[in-house]
Amino acid sequence: MRYLLLSLTMLFTLPSMSTAGYREDFEREFMTKTWAGAQVEENSCISCHASDKMKPEFKEIVDAWQASWHAQNKISCENCHGGDPKDADLAMSRERGFLGSPHYKDVPEFCGKCHVGILANFLESGHGKALKAGKKAPNCVTCHGSHNIQKANIDIISEQLCTKCHSYERAKIMKVTLFLIEKKAAQLEQSLQELRQEGLYPEDDQKSLFSTQATFRTLFHTVDVNLVRSRTDEFTSKLDLIDKNVQTMFRDLRSRKNFSAFLMLVFSGMGIIIFLLSTTKKD
Amino acid sequence: MKTWLNVRIGLDDFIQTKIIDYRIPKNINIFYTLGFLAVIAYAVQAVTGIILLIYYIPHPDHAFRSVQDIMTKVPYGWLFRQMHVVGSNLMITVAILHMITVFLMGNYKRPRELTWLGGGLSLLLTIIFGFSGYLLPWTQLSYWATTVVTSMPTAFPLIGNPIAQVLRGGDHITEITLSRFFALHVAVLPPIFLTLTGIHLFLINRIGISATPFGMADEEKRPLTEYKRKTHADGYPYYPVFFQKQMYMMMAYLAVMFFIITFLPNLFFPEEAHIPADPFKTPAEIRPAWYLLAPYQLLKLIPNKFFGITIQAILVALFLVWPFVDTYQEKNVLKRPILRGVFIFLLVMWVILLFWGRTS
Repeated sequence: MRYLLLSLTMLFTLPSMSTAGYREDFEREFMTKTWAGAQVEENSCISCHASDKMKPEFKEIVDAWQASWHAQNKISCENCHGGDPKDADLAMSRERGFLGSPHYKDVPEFCGKCHVGILANFLESGHGKALKAGKKAPNCVTCHGSHNIQKANIDIISEQLCTKCHSYERAKIMKVTLFLIEKKAAQLEQSLQELRQEGLYPEDDQKSLFSTQATFRTLFHTVDVNLVRSRTDEFTSKLDLIDKNVQTMFRDLRSRKNFSAFLMLVFSGMGIIIFLLSTTKKD
Repeated sequence: MKTWLNVRIGLDDFIQTKIIDYRIPKNINIFYTLGFLAVIAYAVQAVTGIILLIYYIPHPDHAFRSVQDIMTKVPYGWLFRQMHVVGSNLMITVAILHMITVFLMGNYKRPRELTWLGGGLSLLLTIIFGFSGYLLPWTQLSYWATTVVTSMPTAFPLIGNPIAQVLRGGDHITEITLSRFFALHVAVLPPIFLTLTGIHLFLINRIGISATPFGMADEEKRPLTEYKRKTHADGYPYYPVFFQKQMYMMMAYLAVMFFIITFLPNLFFPEEAHIPADPFKTPAEIRPAWYLLAPYQLLKLIPNKFFGITIQAILVALFLVWPFVDTYQEKNVLKRPILRGVFIFLLVMWVILLFWGRTS
């Protein structure tokens, strides 16, 4: 048996020694390989923009996008700019739908391809009307940035940002109006995250929260404080309904924990009783 | 009823000869219950697994959803799933502890070579059980951990890629892989495991329980020229002495299981375990289950991948055939400094690699 084992060891070890490569090769070929292989499509926009031949200001776009909310939600270059990222030669061809960068005043329509509701409300707002009239006015990028777009939150409305064009008073009233709903939505989001972590999958409530929050934020883009105020109750009741479901799930979670703790105590108790009995028997 | 059974199968005689007259060595210790505990752990897995099987749908479009439903809609589904997940990890832990204690007490030595081999193969099967079950919930964790582990065989030249292809049913983890792993988990492995366990138990019964090397003179040092069942005429009766030990260890096992379910429900569920599998989104950290972390980390550390996997294959083979290699008669590992040193070194390395793999 020893000789057999020794022979097998030699049989395996010798060829491995002879094919011994370098750590770099190993890491490249095995450990850092894109495991999804061909399923992850090549994106020529990213590979080109990330290359050294690109000007620094264009090169930064890749890093900015990768850190963005869009990247996290799989919204890639072609979703906004068009073109064909699979074909490096024709990636920026107009025939393949390449749009390039929009003019300043066309940015709302550019983003509005996806954010339809927000576009409609924005165009009705003072901001939108001023922009279309060719006056000095903000577009989407002014508040949200372009490539490093982060998940929207109430802190975007800030004195620093709004006072670039006008006084902060009106914006402040809007922020106060939004605050309670936004706070409640943030708390619910946190609670839903906790529930998901515990293995309860509150998918319907998550969708409902997303939808309520998105509709509420859409409404905000009218910049009409009175309109937002008039519909606050409607959104509050929707959030209350989600909150009720969340509380029910937390109660359910507590009862689950209580039940498994009860079982733990039952088995611990039985174990202790048997242990004590077994000592008696042995004596 | 009792008379009816007595007349037909000799129930009283069976109880008398197999349970009451069955003697166990006086110096038997608590570690001897670990084998029984492994059987209990398997029974828990089988029962909870069958319940999950009723509701689980082995298809990428439905697997995650069906697991969600088990957790939220099926009455006590959460409990059975938690028991199955926690139980799988505890079962592997118990099986590993069983092998370690058998090794330390020298109970693998002749005439128990085949018993060790059966136990060792059962441990490997237990790990394959865990690995195959890992993919079934079709989460980010299961998808990517399986991707990494099924890539390990590609380290072998020539046969590596075909092995990975057979495991995955193609180049990538797809619905074919899920079907294969599901079949392996619920239909292929259980009968093999039961057969192996049956052989293992048969051998234990046929050869007799080994006395521990601590204290008693061991008759097994005799020249092995003929079959002789080891008996312990002066030992304790199996029932109630050892039976009670087994019972309170079983209770302790279940108490530990429910402790984890109650206070550490996410011990085996990192964040990726709650996100449906997405082949286009590689998580920042891809790690296999804890029991595969040490081999995974070793594979990362050794520059040549074929060499890395070869070393591991040799170690596994050596582990299985160790009783045939170690023919030294001394059972007490305390009297064998080299073996003790090598064992401690390997154990410490395993622990270091495990934690290294977890944190790197």
